[in-house]
Amino acid sequence: MNSSIGVGGMPAASWVSTTSLSASGKRIQREMVELNSDPPPDCSAGPKGDNLYSWVSTIIGPSGTPYEGGIFFLDIIFPSDYPFKPPKVIFKTRIYHCNVDSAGNVWLDILKDSWSPALTITKVLLAIRSMFTNPHTYSPIALDIAHMYLADRAKHDELAAEWTLRFAK
Amino acid sequence: MVSDSITNAPIPSAPNSRDFSKKKRANRSAKLKQCKLDARREQWLSQVAVKSKGCKEEGNCAKKERDRSLENPRRRDQDNNDDGSIHHESDSESPSNSPTNSLLGGGGGSGGSDSGTNFVGSSSSRSSISGSSSGGCCSGSITEEEEEDGCLDDWEAVADALAADDDNNKPEPEPENSYSQSPSESQLSMQSDSTPELTNGLGLDSANSMTETESARMVPRISGNNTQAWRPDDAYRPQSLPNLAKQRSFPATNRHFGHGGVPWSRNSVLGAPSSCPICYEDLDLTDSSFLPCLCGFRLCLFCHKRILEEDGRCPGCRKPYEHDQVESEASVQGGSLTFRLARSCSMIARS
Repeated sequence: MNSSIGVGGMPAASWVSTTSLSASGKRIQREMVELNSDPPPDCSAGPKGDNLYSWVSTIIGPSGTPYEGGIFFLDIIFPSDYPFKPPKVIFKTRIYHCNVDSAGNVWLDILKDSWSPALTITKVLLAIRSMFTNPHTYSPIALDIAHMYLADRAKHDELAAEWTLRFAK
Repeated sequence: MVSDSITNAPIPSAPNSRDFSKKKRANRSAKLKQCKLDARREQWLSQVAVKSKGCKEEGNCAKKERDRSLENPRRRDQDNNDDGSIHHESDSESPSNSPTNSLLGGGGGSGGSDSGTNFVGSSSSRSSISGSSSGGCCSGSITEEEEEDGCLDDWEAVADALAADDDNNKPEPEPENSYSQSPSESQLSMQSDSTPELTNGLGLDSANSMTETESARMVPRISGNNTQAWRPDDAYRPQSLPNLAKQRSFPATNRHFGHGGVPWSRNSVLGAPSSCPICYEDLDLTDSSFLPCLCGFRLCLFCHKRILEEDGRCPGCRKPYEHDQVESEASVQGGSLTFRLARSCSMIARS
């Protein structure tokens, strides 16, 4: 599964040196436990391999949106000073969305300036899932898509559904 | 006659009582009670072991005490004459009554696995037996055989009384008689020394395992019908018993502490969290009484310091932390009172 995703985020070996569980490691582990015990709807996430700081996540496109039925893979990279710094979330599946740039980077305020150490990866996934339903057109990274969304919603949805069908199914 | 029966009693009684109890136990439905009794018996046996160190054989142990009781034959005769009154009196009045009985029973219990449980019943169901004695249905005129049986069935009957089995085949007065002739008298002679010894045993026990409730449950047995716990000023109170005032203060402070935390945690989602929501480390007392932001978001001091170094914003509300949080927070909570309360509680708990 991972190999099919293609572009690798960070080399996993660079994190292996963290032998004893650091503060961030403990926090990530606890988040993993909580996520497994009570996963948000249509979301899943977990470490790719042995590296606790590199996760892979899937979000199923919510129904009622042009992304419906699509399975979107995301890489989640935790910084070593997590949770004081936000995790990095990258779409591995191409998506037609005004808040995702062409490299797959998610541009959400909570992953940038509005990050809070009190947020968890569960909340991040929920925010991304809500982003499917309501694109943040006021702070887009893909300006043309945001413009399309505001100007011609039907066309936008048609394109998004086409991308979903092509890349996410 | 009576004294003979008493001295003879322990030796034939041991196997018989085991048989009896086995039979009865098989019929008994209250097996759960048995478990409780077993545990209780072990407790007592350990105490008996402390008390009667050296007399490993049950017969020896029982004999010893009976010998002691036989030291005063004249008194024994007297007691036989007005049997009911005396042992009844001893039942109600003497705190060492049940200990003495239990010691006898304990001696027997060390030999057989069953008798111990029964004997436990005897001590706790003392009141019912004494009630029957006050009814006046006991008499000194029983044959040796009967009395032996009574002695044997005594533990059984008492266990039945504990299990609230009123339809017991064995008559209640019989056990009463067996009690009255040996233990109540030996207790009369032993009254002076049995109590301290027992408290010593208690003390040993309490040193490692006795909790407050345990001691409270054991005390009624020691003091017979008197179901009061040790008072702090009680002369017989074992010194090694845990200090109740100290223990009582602990949950009290916890309660106070939780109470004091209420006004603060009103704002936070989970009340007072037990661990830091940032690093998931447990909050200690300092951390949990630390409220850096008006929004009520709690975190440990380490994470707070780290945030101050970098971001400087509260993770809960994303507002920058202020430096005089404590004063403003206390005033906003309308309670320097609540603040002080929580602080003092934390100090108490720490001490």
